[in-house]
Amino acid sequence: MDPQAVSAASQAVVHTGFALFLDKLYYFIMVPLVYISVIVMIVGIVAKIVSIVRAPIPAFSLKTYPAKKRPFLAALGDTFGMPMIRKEKPLFWFFLMMFHIGIFFLFFGHLDLFPGVNLMPPESRHMIGAGAVGLSVTIPTFYFLFRRFKGQERHISVPSDYLLLLLLLFIFLLGDMISWGNSWTANGFVMTKADFKNYFGILKSFSFVDPRTVLHGSHYHFVVLHVFLAELFMMILPFTKIVHTFFSLPLNLLRRR
Amino acid sequence: MSDYTVAKTLDCKGLACPMPIVRLSQEIAKIKVGEVIEMFTTDPGSLADVPSWAKSTGNAVLENKQESGVIHFFVKRQK
Amino acid sequence: MEAATQEALKKLFESKLNKAMRLYLDTCAHCGLCVEACHVYQAMPETKYTPVGRAEVVRKLFKRYFKMQGKIAPWLGEVIELDDKSVNMAYEAAFSCTGCRRCVTVCPFGIDTQQVMNIAKLLLIGAEKQPQILAMLSDMSIAKGETWKETANDYIAALNNLAPEVEALAPTPPGRPAIPIDVENANVLYVGLSGKHSIVPAAAILNAASENWTISHFEAVNFAAWLGDGEKQRLIAKRIIMEAERLKVKEVAVVECGTATRVLKFMTGSHPFRIVSIVELIARYIEQGRIKVKPGTISGTLTYHDPCQLGRNGGVMEEPRYIIGKLTDKFVELTPNKEANWCCGGGGGLISLGEHEFRMKTGKVKVDQMRASKADTICTACENCHTQLTELNEHYGLGMKVESLTNLVAHALTGFGA
Ligand code: HEM
Ligand code: SF4
Ligand code: SF4
Repeated sequence: MDPQAVSAASQAVVHTGFALFLDKLYYFIMVPLVYISVIVMIVGIVAKIVSIVRAPIPAFSLKTYPAKKRPFLAALGDTFGMPMIRKEKPLFWFFLMMFHIGIFFLFFGHLDLFPGVNLMPPESRHMIGAGAVGLSVTIPTFYFLFRRFKGQERHISVPSDYLLLLLLLFIFLLGDMISWGNSWTANGFVMTKADFKNYFGILKSFSFVDPRTVLHGSHYHFVVLHVFLAELFMMILPFTKIVHTFFSLPLNLLRRR
Repeated sequence: MSDYTVAKTLDCKGLACPMPIVRLSQEIAKIKVGEVIEMFTTDPGSLADVPSWAKSTGNAVLENKQESGVIHFFVKRQK
Repeated sequence: MEAATQEALKKLFESKLNKAMRLYLDTCAHCGLCVEACHVYQAMPETKYTPVGRAEVVRKLFKRYFKMQGKIAPWLGEVIELDDKSVNMAYEAAFSCTGCRRCVTVCPFGIDTQQVMNIAKLLLIGAEKQPQILAMLSDMSIAKGETWKETANDYIAALNNLAPEVEALAPTPPGRPAIPIDVENANVLYVGLSGKHSIVPAAAILNAASENWTISHFEAVNFAAWLGDGEKQRLIAKRIIMEAERLKVKEVAVVECGTATRVLKFMTGSHPFRIVSIVELIARYIEQGRIKVKPGTISGTLTYHDPCQLGRNGGVMEEPRYIIGKLTDKFVELTPNKEANWCCGGGGGLISLGEHEFRMKTGKVKVDQMRASKADTICTACENCHTQLTELNEHYGLGMKVESLTNLVAHALTGFGA
């Protein structure tokens, strides 16, 4: 182990009492809860999809006219292009696009952290986009949040709308911070992409090793918080309006055929 | 011919769907049970509408006449 | 509200939860895009008059009774209970919505507020808070399914009295009555309304086309569709379907009534006969040269209001324009039109319910459109829209003429054999 990569605040000190409790909690968040939350998310989504697939089919077509020649393509266009939003609220559309494309890259950015997956050149210190992806989701989230404080958007919002956006905002800000930390030299007091690859290696191998053995940076707390909030997000995903990830296409098919 | 007195007269000539029946139901509520309302319409369909309305609401059509495109009903409030 | 009623309402709610409804209730992102799409909101900018605001009443009940979230953390979604208050909210939501589905075209997910409002309407029926007028009219229509035989002779006599009016527009083909009824194996079963204005012009057109047609004993309108009572809606439509089967007709043509057309055409399953709007039939007659219309019978410029149920929700948008093209070359469009057209504010049964003040207020966007068109005459192809446009015209002193498309065609018929 490279001693230079170990910051003074970590590792060597033997923890007791509250600090020990925190260590245990951090471990729980960083390893077992990752698996748990992924399972909750998958089971939740499958259950939700099953409940919808099993529900009776509407007795008549709910489409709107003029009918499209290729309903499936039209629905795909609605889903991924959101043409009506583009027409009605171009700024909102711009941020939505930026956000959703950002989410898409974020997914691959995280996938890239698994050992053996090399979407970016292995020698690169960066995640996909080198921080730009983070900004492309953070900025729109600020916009989404602020727009809910005025006009009709305020009246049609319920607490879960704000909480969801706040949750996202914290995940993204922490992610941005980690990504920023990553841009320092590998010889500094930071955690690099290579370190995170080691952590993802632990997850992938189900070895249940304490990630602290590979993540030495002093801002470990923030990494833990980032992971925890992301887990929270995954666990609530099937039970909130984020199900639109899966239902946007079927919904648009309803009005196209 | 008619051995009843008319308590109210309702002119629905030329009204659009479904106003004659709506008006009839509103006006009949203003007369007493047992009294008779007289109604004029120009809707051919009212010849079927008014009896079916009377049947479903428990009232009675006593008589109808057609004179030069005007239809003339006598409806008794029974409920 | 009693626990038993609550249970009953929950069951009714559940009976409505098909695939589409579940998706609608689960997915709304509260993005607010639909807000501006609703003509009611345009006139009265209140949250309860937004599409999402309306659907939220139902959605909050859904969360409360059918979702874990509403049980664990009800405050997250501000859920509401099934009680007198929420039933009143459901009334206000459902019967301030004309079911025009303009919002459907704007929502990124295509959430159908009209469908969601049908849950609210069913709850109102369960709580016995449904609008009595619509219930009464539905019951009348259903009763007619049984009484029509008793009154048939009177009805036929009244139809015969209309012969001179029909023949003033077009001659009757030899050997047939001006308004035929109970003709077996006819090509077309025409379903009108009660009023003669829904019968005379159509009869003239069908006669001018020398069509082998027959008129229905029933009125096309389906009050139960507005009431939100699926079973009654089915019974009302079934009278006409059974008549078409009894007479073995090839085609059913529905009077200018958007809702009746949509219900019969799309919500009654498949049949051995076709179901079309009279507008489609007229367009076909003109195209095939079976009727001829002379241009220039309409003075000044003409515009056309797309009835929501016929256009956006029924797909009949080009046919009326084709017909109008034959009637006049001074046609101007309302902006926006076709699938983006604004509802006139008369749909959803609001005409039958009276609601004059509400309708005059919410017709404001339509009025602005009419004014901007600078047309002398506005025509449409729906009895409800026609009534609403007529009242708007008077109320706002627009000084336009309001016409029905069928009537315009009937008065422009020309080129009869002799
Ligand atoms: C990978 C899949 C997706 C994820 C993870 C995702 C996630 C999100 C999140 C977190 C929000 C913010 C919610 C908020 O503003 O409160 C959002 C908003 C939105 N998403 Fe998606 N989404 C996905 C796919 C889609 C698709 C395919 C559509 C297509 C129509 C879509 C349409 C929208 C819209 C219209 C909003 C606006 C909601 C708002 O302003 O609140 N999303 N999405
Ligand atoms: S269907 Fe029409 S009236 Fe109803 S909420 Fe949507 S836009 Fe408004
Ligand atoms: S546009 Fe659709 S998703 Fe957005 S608030 Fe309205 S109904 Fe909900």
